[in-house]
Amino acid sequence: MKMSDATRLQWAQAMVVTGLVLYVPANVLPVMTMTVVGTVEPLTVLGGVEELYDSGLWPMAAVVFLASIVVPFLKLVSLSWILLQHGKPGMQRQRTNLRRIVHSVGSWSMVDVFLLAILAAVGQLGALAGVQAEPGGFFFAAVLVCSLLAAEFYKPRMIWQTNEQPIP
Amino acid sequence: MTAIPNKPSPAWIRCPDCEAPCLDRPLPKKAELRCARCGARVKSARGTHSLQPAWAFATAGLFIAVLANVEPIMTFDVAGDMQTNRIISGVIELARQGYGPVAALVCFAGIVAPALHLASIWYVASACCLRRRWPAVHRVAGLVEMLEPWNLVPVYAIATVVAVVKLDMMGTVAWKAGAHWILVLSLCSLCAAQSFDPELVEERLEALK
Repeated sequence: MKMSDATRLQWAQAMVVTGLVLYVPANVLPVMTMTVVGTVEPLTVLGGVEELYDSGLWPMAAVVFLASIVVPFLKLVSLSWILLQHGKPGMQRQRTNLRRIVHSVGSWSMVDVFLLAILAAVGQLGALAGVQAEPGGFFFAAVLVCSLLAAEFYKPRMIWQTNEQPIP
Repeated sequence: MTAIPNKPSPAWIRCPDCEAPCLDRPLPKKAELRCARCGARVKSARGTHSLQPAWAFATAGLFIAVLANVEPIMTFDVAGDMQTNRIISGVIELARQGYGPVAALVCFAGIVAPALHLASIWYVASACCLRRRWPAVHRVAGLVEMLEPWNLVPVYAIATVVAVVKLDMMGTVAWKAGAHWILVLSLCSLCAAQSFDPELVEERLEALK
């Protein structure tokens, strides 16, 4: 796939903006409804973390919290900062390092999507217990794909293109 | 054309990340050449490094990938209503509930990409180790790098643990053999990816010409 750098930049910007917009419904809407012995309980991503914390499993709650709330948000914020700084000189080394970190931790937000898939597999246990997927999961997956694509479109070399000096 | 073992004249190579020209020089053992501008690794000296570990891990990984997908991961039991869980059952259930794109994402990152990643490592490493000129090796080597961030089996393993904890609140959960295979598969994928060295592949393929 050949693409000019201007197009790449535009795509990356579009993906980050879309991701930031979708981040809201992804966290506000419930990701799944859990039915436990008759009680129906809608769960948002944060709700799922809270539930884990309440049952005393705080290390696991921390993992899910970091992976599915902090990481996607930080990823989107740092990508927007990198994109806003595009073409300006200064802090290019920092931007490169940030991009590298974002790239390496980004895939961990898939934990929640996988979790949804594993839990949804017990969906048909009748009225007694079961898990039903809800629209929040769709938005969550969309945020993830958007930030992955944004990082893919914006190549690290583009950080070093400045308006003042051409690349040596 | 015969391969030249050591290039005598200094040459410029481009940094793979920021494309700045870096001066190539012979490196002492275990040293790395880093880009002066962005700090990315440009080249490393490896000495007696080989692609055989990557080949072995990929071969083992491919067999284990089959087992991890076929064997049930866990069984879940609520009041005598028993259910077996595989990676694919989550995909099927999400698709059935009307979340096709999410199902596709799980299917890709949990089943297709890990298998393709291992298969492409296997293909390239086999070609290098057996010294065969197999078709499209360069393109497959590119595929390895493209698929690496999508090999999310280790993430899936963590998700399984969290899922078991959650399901334990609802009923009785029991680990099955598939869970062990997933753990072994994530180790195999990590080791195969770690020991697969694109520069070395380039060198070997160059020598075959």
